[in-house]
Amino acid sequence: MTTGDWHIPPGLLERYLDGSLDPVGVMSVEAHLVRCARCRTAVPADGGWLATSWERIAAEVAAPAPPLTERLLHGAGVPGHLARLLAATPALSRAWAAAVAVALGFAVAAAHLAGHGFLAFLTLAPVLPTAGIALAYGRRIDPAHETYAATPMAGAPLLLVRSTAVLLTALALTALAVPLLPAATMPSVAWAWLLPALTTTSGCLALATRVPLPLAAVALGGGWVAVVTGVGAVTGDRTLPFRPGAQVLYGCAVALLTLVLYVRRHRLDPAEPR
Amino acid sequence: MTPTVTVRGLRKRYGHTAVLDGLDIAFGAGVTGLLGPNGAGKTTLLRCLATTLAPDAGELRVLGLDPATASGRTGVRRRLGYLPQDPGFYPHFTVFETLDYVAILKEMTDRRERHREVTRVLAEVGLADRARTKVRKLSGGMRQRLALAQALLDEPDLLVLDEPTVGLDPEQRLRLRALVSRLGESRTVLLSTHQTEDVAALCERVVVMDGGRILFDGTPAGLAAVAAGRVSLGDHRPGPGALFWRTADGRYRTIGDTPADAVPAEPTVEDGYLLLVGRTQEAA
Repeated sequence: MTTGDWHIPPGLLERYLDGSLDPVGVMSVEAHLVRCARCRTAVPADGGWLATSWERIAAEVAAPAPPLTERLLHGAGVPGHLARLLAATPALSRAWAAAVAVALGFAVAAAHLAGHGFLAFLTLAPVLPTAGIALAYGRRIDPAHETYAATPMAGAPLLLVRSTAVLLTALALTALAVPLLPAATMPSVAWAWLLPALTTTSGCLALATRVPLPLAAVALGGGWVAVVTGVGAVTGDRTLPFRPGAQVLYGCAVALLTLVLYVRRHRLDPAEPR
Repeated sequence: MTPTVTVRGLRKRYGHTAVLDGLDIAFGAGVTGLLGPNGAGKTTLLRCLATTLAPDAGELRVLGLDPATASGRTGVRRRLGYLPQDPGFYPHFTVFETLDYVAILKEMTDRRERHREVTRVLAEVGLADRARTKVRKLSGGMRQRLALAQALLDEPDLLVLDEPTVGLDPEQRLRLRALVSRLGESRTVLLSTHQTEDVAALCERVVVMDGGRILFDGTPAGLAAVAAGRVSLGDHRPGPGALFWRTADGRYRTIGDTPADAVPAEPTVEDGYLLLVGRTQEAA
């Protein structure tokens, strides 16, 4: 069917066009159509469909495969576009993750070397997410901020997505360090950083509706360290900020600060005067 | 016809410096060029219109919406394409990933539709063959085209382009002019530039700014006419204090008072602009 003088007979062409031709026949006809301009003119073509199909193919070929983090998030049920936003958070650089790991390493070492050394770990852990959030969003932090600030996702939506990425990463790294703490550290105490970490994070974001984000992060991180050391110095009991009673307070604070953040979320917009 | 952008009494200060000093202006469909020296207030005005900067005082209506409200800003951003003066990128992203990320921020959640749109704008700016190239490996001109491509995503009704021709070679500038003029047929395009040739070539309207105020608002021909009778060509170097330069044929082109031996010359947009800005700077 591919010889130069041969052309598709009308009956065969009709069966090809109405879809009644068997697969082998279809392949043979199409092999001939590739080589024969005369027969191609007899096959009606939908130009719009062709153009759209080529566009789709070109888009799929040009699109690079998503990186591992994005694929894992997508596999965990996170929608593709959200997975990309989470994975591309500027603060989630190797440098930041390394800094968090080193800080946690020192805190774990301190827990092994001193009697109440685990308190250093508990004090440090809630500061880590706020440090990451300070690096997640803003004109001085993000090289592409000015471009992104003019998109509908600017402000609260993007900041909250990035803060979530940073918080989850910091919590995961800290959780990985918990089993390395001395065995004498009670399990309940070993996890006593979790609610304070959520408190500093929600507090940082709530305060960022009034002051610039880096300032809010410094205020919450520094404030937390000051409160922990201050309470220890005044009461003589350095574990007091990590006892169950304090945890209840942190839980209430998280709820309250989250509410404040929700009500004032529009103030997180870069174009909002402060 | 309702203007796309209306500005009334817009003020913005940085410290003690008034960058926008009670600006009143409106922009409609077509291409409008903003000309002015550095610090004239062009970028500040464009940033206010692009909703990335809050003005200190004044009223803005952009696409019928009020950017002073959160819902107004989001509404404007949904219909806006913005090329900032210093568009930054994530260097580890590829060209395609960069645009895909911006498309997501423009709320294009459907992957196929988004990728098709990214492919479309890449072809528009001539970067289709660079889709998989890392941003850090792009030349300055390519980065500028990438910045333009992200502004074109989702076919915005209002395009705000801050110095779009920076870093482009002559051929790329011509392509950009063709693209912008085509876009200006159906939407509002505001562009700031230092290139008077770009204004003369593609803008229906030109606004000259200096010191946060408007010095001129009219057509490019009108701006050139500002210098009518004030441009001359002579064979001898004019005296001190005159604004002049030596042309390619060795003659002296003077803007201002005509030297004794010079003959009048046809004024250009650049002549009109230099005369206007020169006057203000002398007055200051």
